[in-house]
Amino acid sequence: MSEVWDDEELLARLIVALTAADAVPRDFVEAGKTAFAWHNIDAELAELAYDSGLRQDEEAALLRADSAALRALTFVAAELSIELEITERTLIGQLVPPQAGRIQVLSESGYSHVAAVDEMGVFVLNEKPPEPFRLQCRTVTGLSVSTAWIRF
Amino acid sequence: MPQRSVVGALVVRARAGDQGAWDVLVERYAPMLWSICRDQGLDRRDIDDVAQYVWMRAVEHLGRLRDPDKIGAWLATTTKHECLRVRRARRKQDHSEQLLDVAMTMDDRTTTIEQVVEDAERDAVLRAAFARLSPDCRRLLGLLMKEMPYHEICRRLGMAMGSVGPTRARCLARLRADAALVALMRADLESREGEHHV
Repeated sequence: MSEVWDDEELLARLIVALTAADAVPRDFVEAGKTAFAWHNIDAELAELAYDSGLRQDEEAALLRADSAALRALTFVAAELSIELEITERTLIGQLVPPQAGRIQVLSESGYSHVAAVDEMGVFVLNEKPPEPFRLQCRTVTGLSVSTAWIRF
Repeated sequence: MPQRSVVGALVVRARAGDQGAWDVLVERYAPMLWSICRDQGLDRRDIDDVAQYVWMRAVEHLGRLRDPDKIGAWLATTTKHECLRVRRARRKQDHSEQLLDVAMTMDDRTTTIEQVVEDAERDAVLRAAFARLSPDCRRLLGLLMKEMPYHEICRRLGMAMGSVGPTRARCLARLRADAALVALMRADLESREGEHHV
C-alpha cells in the first residue's frame, strides 16, 4: 500500500477541503439548487400585444414626455403579462399579476443574464442586452413564459 | 478515475430530472464557483448573479454536455468567462483607475482553470470520504484539525489520554480506505512518479 500522503499531509489536505466548503455561505449553495427549476422548462410564448414604437399618436408622445421611457412593450400570455419599459440605459419590467420570480435575458449572440423579479413583480436590467434578445420568465407560482425576439 | 464516473452518473441522473442528483453536484462544485468569483474580486451581489447564471446554463446544458464527467471543467470555464464579463461591465460603469489596478492584480495570481478544477475535485473527494466516517471519528478529527490540545480533546470527548493517538490512527486508516480517495492518491502518486522520471 503506497502511502503517497502521510497522515499529516492527509489531515492538511482535509483541512483545506473542509475550509473551502465552510467559506461558502449556505444561501449561496441553496440558490444553486433552485436553478434546477429551469430543467426542461416548456415556456409558453407571450404574444406582443402593445408596442409604443408602432404608435405615432398622442399616447406614445405622452409616454415619452411623461417618463424616461423611449419605448413600452407588453407581451401577453394566458396567465401572465410582461410589461417592458426601455429607457436610454435600462430596461424595467413589470409582471402582471405581480409576483416574484426570475428573468433570464437571452440574446441571439449567446449573451445571457439573470435578474430577480421582486414580490411586486418588478425587475430591472441595468445593462441593455445585445439585440435581438428575448426574456424568459419563471415565477414562484410556477408560470413559465417566454417573449418573442425583441429589438430596441 | 472512479470519482469522475461518480460525477458522470450524477449528471446523467440530473439530466433525467433527478433534483437530488443536481443538489449533490451543486454541493460539490459550489465552493469552486465561489472561489473563482472571489479570486476575480467580485462582490457578493455580482457573485450571486454570476453563479445563478452559471447554474442555470448548466441545467439547460445537461443534455448537451459531450462528456458528463467533465462538468466540473465546464462549470469552471463558464464561471471564469462570466466573471470577466461582469468585471468588464463594472469597469465601463465606473472609470476608476484604482479598480482597474486591483482587477489586474487579481488576474495575475489566478491559477489555471485546469488546476482549479483539479483542486475542486480533490477537495470534493476528501469531503465525501470525511462525511462517510463515523460521527466519533468526525468529531475527533475535527478537533485535531482545530489544533486543540490533547488534554482538551480528552475532556470534551470523555476519552483517556492514551487513546487519542490510536483512535486518531484508526480514523485516518478508515479515511484512507475510502475507494474514491484511494484512487485519488494513486493518481497523485503516478503523476508524482511521472514527474520524477521525466
